[in-house]
Amino acid sequence: MRVTGAAAISRRYFVMNAFDGALAALGVIVGAWSSGPIQPRFIVGAGLGMSLAMGISGFAGAYLTERAERLRRLRELERSLLVNLDSSIHGRAFRTVVLWTALVDAMSPALTALASISPFIMLSHGLVSADQAVFISITTILITIFSLGAFTGKVSKENVFISGIRMLSVGLITAFLVSILAR
Amino acid sequence: MVHDPIVRKVVLDVLKPHQPQIPELASRLVACHGVDHVGISLAEIDQNTESIKVQVEGTDIKIDALKRCIEEMGATIHSIDEVEVVKSTQHK
Repeated sequence: MRVTGAAAISRRYFVMNAFDGALAALGVIVGAWSSGPIQPRFIVGAGLGMSLAMGISGFAGAYLTERAERLRRLRELERSLLVNLDSSIHGRAFRTVVLWTALVDAMSPALTALASISPFIMLSHGLVSADQAVFISITTILITIFSLGAFTGKVSKENVFISGIRMLSVGLITAFLVSILAR
Repeated sequence: MVHDPIVRKVVLDVLKPHQPQIPELASRLVACHGVDHVGISLAEIDQNTESIKVQVEGTDIKIDALKRCIEEMGATIHSIDEVEVVKSTQHK
């Protein structure tokens, strides 16, 4: 992993796609909440479908683009060295990193979206009320978005609180726009 | 009584990618069979590659095993610039 500098790209994929998953779930939940009485079955169905689709899209998209980009770099390195690197640590790192980044890209939005709709699974089992489900769900999403922002602040060695607020404001603006649109 | 030559020292001209870096490469090479000491110096640096001089010392260096260790790291031997061999006596 160190050979290919996979840590930085994985971090980027994780934040970018977890943010995608959280915002998409926020859009679905705020939209459903603003447009009328909450139908937990529809939110859970839409949420699960969205998680699965984002997971598959993330895996396929990252696998194909990352593979193409890294294979180009591997072949370029082979041309410079005049050797085949398939059985070297570079070849093995290439295969591992492509799979790893694809998994990060698949799991981060899928898990965020899944966590965001989980209160509605509890609602469909009668464990919480509709208002509580909406409250828990939106709070979970906003905490996730703030944490992702704080994480980017930690990576860039900036103020984590300001970074968290910056990303949170994007979530709040999205929620506001969706609630107006869905009315 | 068979006299098997034992390789005690080799100096190689090696072309390697920037990764793994020289300290990591040296650590990997010193773990190769029969190697006790590795010294690497940078000769030239390019956009994608580095030319290095690798001095390997050991009690019984196997050139083929050393070559495999180097290739495993994505590097390639350009030339063997220096070798020190001693004669050993073994009963076979």
